[in-house]
Amino acid sequence: MSKSPNRLLGVIFGAVYVLIGILGFTVTSGVSFFATEGGLLLGIFEVNIFHNVAHLLIGAALLIAGLSNVRAAKTVNSVVGAAYLALGLAGLFLVGTALNILALNVADNVLHFASAAILLAVGLGADNSRTVTAKA
Amino acid sequence: MPTITRTWLAFAAIGTGLIHFALVIGSPLALGLVLAALGLVEFGWGVLTFARETLVAPRVALVVALVPVVGWALLLVTSSVSEAPELAASFAFLPLAVASVFELFAVAVLGVHLRRGRDPEAVPVFPSVFRYLLGLAVGAVVVAGLTTPALAATEAGLFSSPHGETQTDEPYVLNLPEHGH
Repeated sequence: MSKSPNRLLGVIFGAVYVLIGILGFTVTSGVSFFATEGGLLLGIFEVNIFHNVAHLLIGAALLIAGLSNVRAAKTVNSVVGAAYLALGLAGLFLVGTALNILALNVADNVLHFASAAILLAVGLGADNSRTVTAKA
Repeated sequence: MPTITRTWLAFAAIGTGLIHFALVIGSPLALGLVLAALGLVEFGWGVLTFARETLVAPRVALVVALVPVVGWALLLVTSSVSEAPELAASFAFLPLAVASVFELFAVAVLGVHLRRGRDPEAVPVFPSVFRYLLGLAVGAVVVAGLTTPALAATEAGLFSSPHGETQTDEPYVLNLPEHGH
């Protein structure tokens, strides 16, 4: 697994997102499922229960694919990366509106763009057949 | 070209493409069409740079990266010389400044790549997995950290800001202390 960037990234990101999803519930007591204003995770990232569930599902998908095989990890990384890119863009328009059912804030958008960049870069660029991996 | 550098180049292209695309909103129709086309080309080129092992049309990419920077610089100079600040004010400063940083990075990388020449048969060497992921994470955080405020400062981003939280445009308002009457 440690020889495939896609599998390793899938496992790391998957585990982190599952952890974020679980931790999110510690700041969302009293917050409704689709609340447009949620609790602050780590004092920065705004989440509601729907956002926590999304983190858990995305984390699980990345984790399972990363533990399975290279092809699954590559596909899931690319798809989740594209979805995060779309969410990052949509988030710019959703913040502060009644449609903000994920309780997104600016820090969430930065995180989503960064996640999209990493997942897309690895999903599209790594584990291609014609590359040679350095031993160092 | 090292894989990590190629990935950073793709990040820069995608970031620039997103910013140019966001600038379409609020632009005049003709300029909006140019920005939309530019944004799509840059975004597409960025994705291709991720997916392929060799750069697609690096000479054309260098020119496409350079033209918007030169154009904006000329606009700023013209605006300053002709004492017409409304000319420069037709574009938000932050988004184009960030886009210019990305474009100049791309120009520098592509320039070095073209000067060194390339062997079409060369098989790209992939770095160690941990080094690759670390390099990627650094690039992604920098690009996301710069792109998000740039997008928020475009007409699209300002339009979408909530009325109660528009801190971004507050500094531009000059608040004079009230004098007692």
